[in-house]
Amino acid sequence: MTISRVLVANRGEIAVRIIKACQSLGVEAVAVVSEADRESLPAKIANRAVCIGPALSSESYLRIDTLITAALGTESDAIHPGYGFLAEQPELAEACRNHGLIFVGPPPEVLRRMGNKIWARQKVSEVGIPVIPGSEKVKDLPQARRVARKMKFPLIFKAAAGGGGRGMKIVRHPDELKTAFETAAAEARSAFGDETIYIERYISNARHIEVQIMGDPLGNVIHLGERDCSSQRRYQKIVEEAPAPSLPSELREKIRTVGASIAKEMNYVNAGTVEFILDQDSGQFYFLEMNTRIQVEHPVTEMISGVDLVREQIRIAAGNPLSLSQPQLQLTGHAIECRINAESPEAAFQPCPGRITRWVPPQGPGIRVDTHCYEGYVVPPYYDSLIAKLITVGSSRPEALQRMNHALTDFVVSGIETTIPFLQFLLGDPDYIRGTFNTRWVEERMKTFSRQRKGAPRSARGKRISVSETVS
Amino acid sequence: MSLTEDDVLQIMKLIEESSFNELHIEMGDFKLSVRKGGAAEKTANAPAASQVSKETEADSAGTEGEQIKDKTSTVSPEGLTPVTSPMLGIFYRSSAPGTPPYVDVGTLVKEDDTLCLIEVMKVFNAVKAGLRGVVEKICAESGQLVEYGQPLFYIRPDAPVKRKKKAA
Repeated sequence: MTISRVLVANRGEIAVRIIKACQSLGVEAVAVVSEADRESLPAKIANRAVCIGPALSSESYLRIDTLITAALGTESDAIHPGYGFLAEQPELAEACRNHGLIFVGPPPEVLRRMGNKIWARQKVSEVGIPVIPGSEKVKDLPQARRVARKMKFPLIFKAAAGGGGRGMKIVRHPDELKTAFETAAAEARSAFGDETIYIERYISNARHIEVQIMGDPLGNVIHLGERDCSSQRRYQKIVEEAPAPSLPSELREKIRTVGASIAKEMNYVNAGTVEFILDQDSGQFYFLEMNTRIQVEHPVTEMISGVDLVREQIRIAAGNPLSLSQPQLQLTGHAIECRINAESPEAAFQPCPGRITRWVPPQGPGIRVDTHCYEGYVVPPYYDSLIAKLITVGSSRPEALQRMNHALTDFVVSGIETTIPFLQFLLGDPDYIRGTFNTRWVEERMKTFSRQRKGAPRSARGKRISVSETVS
Repeated sequence: MSLTEDDVLQIMKLIEESSFNELHIEMGDFKLSVRKGGAAEKTANAPAASQVSKETEADSAGTEGEQIKDKTSTVSPEGLTPVTSPMLGIFYRSSAPGTPPYVDVGTLVKEDDTLCLIEVMKVFNAVKAGLRGVVEKICAESGQLVEYGQPLFYIRPDAPVKRKKKAA
């Protein structure tokens, strides 16, 4: 099996990332673009770009038949789905197989199994790995009440078919059961077309820790260390780092090994992530779910491992074994990633599409910017608001953090609002600097942020907050 | 220098046969403007707007008029109206291999006439003309991958018919 041309079935920064990885391997990349993305960076840098439909993603990026036709018509050998869109849909992987195309990702069977969160939890617990105490499928309110009666509050309702925070509700008291069930089921129905939910115990002092794994067709599976993604707003990660700060080394090693063993148990092939919730009060960690794709935050792992994960994905998809073994993996230094969104942090994080009139990304040692934006680019209103990922690496966490603070200060974006001021505020927080935080801290700090911004005089608001002094 | 009546007739004949729609000549004080089909400009654009394909309009409606990119990157040459591909797919000029094509250059088509088929994974979609006129140009070959929005045909709108009626 060889791959000489890859169709990149995605847009934005990840499309750029994949095109670059292809070209570094001497592989041609075909960009598929919607009408709204004709002038986008992926279209400009790809070896060929084809327009697959109107702006609406349901009529372009989510059309499996169109993507397969485009791949066959451009004589591509493989489709790389990126993240989001169809990345975890077994249907695309299956359609690739049926048309003699290589899907850069796990086989459809694995996607199907791991996509069912309830099945995955059960399977993982069968091999002796703890999962968060929780229920099986819950279909109606009486059943939800019965299940809840036997469990310890607080609880969280989650969509069985879910992901991305949709269909999730926290229930702190039995009185909230009815509303929580109804809204969670409604959200699950509208987001995934399946109203099945399940109930889990909610861990309030939690860290979100995930292990990057990579498997090859020969059955080798390795981990590439863990990432901490506890900094979330509405279940959307905003700051990630690798390795996870302030973890006892024994616990860290255990989480990594367990992550790899789960992937091995599932006969996992290609890049994947095993997510865990660490209960900081008990020191116990639980399996949460497995993501069967390359993740947004993969660069932090790349920066400390020296492994190009997207390149590795393509190599493995072409039938090659892993380019390194577990003992060969060397993790050095510390990396942090900030997701920069076209959103107004002062207006409840409302998306701010529009034309970028000035764009000066930061540069210097240990700084990496993954982006599809440029001066004059119009951020379209149809897709997600991620405009850049700013990644810094240092020999230590304080060094990576210092570089991040400087890089955020240097990053000039005009014409649209971005989350840069909010990221600066977060990274200046003493808890963040110490590395002691949980999955709730961002939401808690948001109140302080809006208070401060409201109280500040107009001039001060416009000015960038420099927090580099606090860490140097 | 001036032109004789014969010269002007000769020029009009030339432009009538050419693919150009308009001609402007300026020589000192002498100015001559010749436009094919009188209101050709208008008639060419009016059907174009209603026709350039329904999805175009649906699309711009969906974006609330905020056009990120100039939709009319495919400016129709010389007042011809493009028929663009409503989807990405494989282009076919006939209903089956070996059968005659739906249309050729010079074919007079009506709104509901099928011009070609676009195949997306064994599903064939007929592309209708959407206007009355003469096929002037065919821009794709059978078996070729065509993109969403790509011009497939150029049609010269059948406007003069109406005009003649009016004149009569």
